[in-house]
Amino acid sequence: MKRNSSTKKEQQFWAYTFLFFPLMLLAIFVFIPILFSLVISFFDWELMASQQNFLGINNFIEIFGDKIFYKAMLNTVLYTIGVVPIQTMLALFLAFVMNQKIRGRTFFRTAFYIPAVTSSVVTSIIFVAIYSKEGLLNSILGIFGFAANDWLTNPHTALISIMMLNIWTTSGYFMVSFLAGLQNIPNSLYEAAKLEGATKRQQFWHITVPMVRPVTYFVVVMSLIGCFQVFDQVFVMSDGGPNNATTTMSYYVYQNAFRYFRLGYGAATAIVLAGIIMIVTVIQKKYFPPNPY
Amino acid sequence: MLAFSLALIASCIRDKENTIRFSSWQSSPSEKRLTDSLLHCFAKKYPEYKVKFELIPGNYSEKIQLMLGTHSAPQVFYIKDFVAPSYLRYDVLQPLNEYIDKDTSFDIDDFYPQFLDAFTKNGKIYGIPKDFGCFVLFYNTDMFKAAGINDPPKDWEELEEFSRKLTKDTNGDGKIEQYGIVVEPSIDKLMPFVFQNMGSFQDKDGNLTLNTPEFQEALEYYYGLYKNNIATIPTDVSMNNTEEVFGRKRAAMVISGGWFVPQLKDQYTDVNYKVAFLPKGKQMATIAFTVSYSSPKENLLKEETWKLLSYLTGKEGMKVWTSTGIAMPTRKSVAAQLDYIKHPEYKYFMGSVDFARVFQVEYNERWYSITQSAMQAIFYEKADIPQKLKEMEDDMKSLRIKK
Repeated sequence: MKRNSSTKKEQQFWAYTFLFFPLMLLAIFVFIPILFSLVISFFDWELMASQQNFLGINNFIEIFGDKIFYKAMLNTVLYTIGVVPIQTMLALFLAFVMNQKIRGRTFFRTAFYIPAVTSSVVTSIIFVAIYSKEGLLNSILGIFGFAANDWLTNPHTALISIMMLNIWTTSGYFMVSFLAGLQNIPNSLYEAAKLEGATKRQQFWHITVPMVRPVTYFVVVMSLIGCFQVFDQVFVMSDGGPNNATTTMSYYVYQNAFRYFRLGYGAATAIVLAGIIMIVTVIQKKYFPPNPY
Repeated sequence: MLAFSLALIASCIRDKENTIRFSSWQSSPSEKRLTDSLLHCFAKKYPEYKVKFELIPGNYSEKIQLMLGTHSAPQVFYIKDFVAPSYLRYDVLQPLNEYIDKDTSFDIDDFYPQFLDAFTKNGKIYGIPKDFGCFVLFYNTDMFKAAGINDPPKDWEELEEFSRKLTKDTNGDGKIEQYGIVVEPSIDKLMPFVFQNMGSFQDKDGNLTLNTPEFQEALEYYYGLYKNNIATIPTDVSMNNTEEVFGRKRAAMVISGGWFVPQLKDQYTDVNYKVAFLPKGKQMATIAFTVSYSSPKENLLKEETWKLLSYLTGKEGMKVWTSTGIAMPTRKSVAAQLDYIKHPEYKYFMGSVDFARVFQVEYNERWYSITQSAMQAIFYEKADIPQKLKEMEDDMKSLRIKK
């Protein structure tokens, strides 16, 4: 009995010894900054000022009267609604196809996964060229008689263009998650279904979809968070323009903090964003639990 | 991590040495070579001083502000006139008046006053302008000749008339290949027109003057060139900037500065061009850009810093710096010595000094995003100009920098 508890203590000691270093890194680069941003969101924090003004909740009051903030919120919500369902369905579909015994399977798997491992800056720059007025997309559409459109400077298409890029880059990434999930489904289920005379489509909807539900949950949460935080593509492709048509919430946080040097206001917007993501995740967890069975 | 903290400690120790740290951005390899040779000249003349050059490759102003905020700024660094007001409002830069007064060989009156003013607040000089550039008109002489025009446009009417003549469908496919001029939805390109029309961005007391007939007329004229299809914008022809549109012969005229000259000589060698003053509106006007060498208030090496600073902006240093013509000298004596006032190309830059203004806005940096969005709304969405101007003023009012 005694021996046992000392082992436990010893185990704990070593566990924390090994954890100390990563925890310290996380503390320095993640936890402390998060807490600190909470603090500065109550200040009119200016980098070069010798003294910081305490504002109380004034930053938060300003946010709720800020037109651009609402626009950014609307853009982010539109972006998420557009990207998450399509991305998830596409990833599941791709994974389903890639899980069949088709020729060149490895090639297709690699091809679909490549965008996910390519730097988002690189893919963004490539897509800037594709979307430009005399670019690839317009030449293809031109064959079918559509007039040329400048996708990224037209306020009606700029956000959709970035959404399409994001769907393309991340579907492959989530496809891998789904593939792992698919391979965990016991083959006996499909065999039983075949014996009962189920078609491929029926198998997909009644076996595959319910069985990968935990993976779907993971994918939806991750892509929701990813969409709420979309930044790099906006930064590279459109700078939030034209006329704020692609200003997303995280981009607006960045603009306030590092373009306008209003760090306090930027931190306050970041906290509102974090709050929204948390609420959405909680709602999702409540109404779409990962494992209802 | 260990290496990182060691580097951190090492950098703290290094600061205590007698090394002057000097930071800048670098827009081209030729600028890098120039900086190296300038520092080399300084080292030769004053071997007792050690200078360490630390390049800041991107996000320059963000980085400098962070360094000033964390007390780790280099002793000498660049500040753009555009962002100077947001530095001058805090007590972070070293006023240089006492050094200027002590140093008899420096001769502060040799500088063109408007460039010095860009870094002066309440009589205190916080930066010495190292050089300047300004917007002039570049025009393609081949296209002008083909259209039967000999001289560059002198006023707004001629600019419009010539642009119309120069806009052509060269291959007869029903689409325009060659535009008269290339513009862009950006406030810096608009401002010369506003100044030419006797307008301004803000008045002497700092109140916004966007919603005035002068400003509105200028914007309507500028946008009208595009609306009437005699001007193009870079995104319409899938290019990155107006200079590229001119260089690839899709437009006969472009408004640009001295920085475009080396590009024309290296990259667009087949373009025959000439330089001219911007066309006159109600008056001659253009905007000038200048960059200063400044120094932080927190500095243990003030005397040494002045030695470097005064060399870089002194008659000798400035001559080295501006001798290749990538930027124009801010000292009258250097301009005279280098004979830029009579130079066939540079005389238009030097001559613009008489009516060029430095464009500075005393509002939080967000003013730029607001104007940029408004310009985009006008160009891309055909937004109503008077209404946009009013909206801009309303959105910007609360951003005014408190004195």
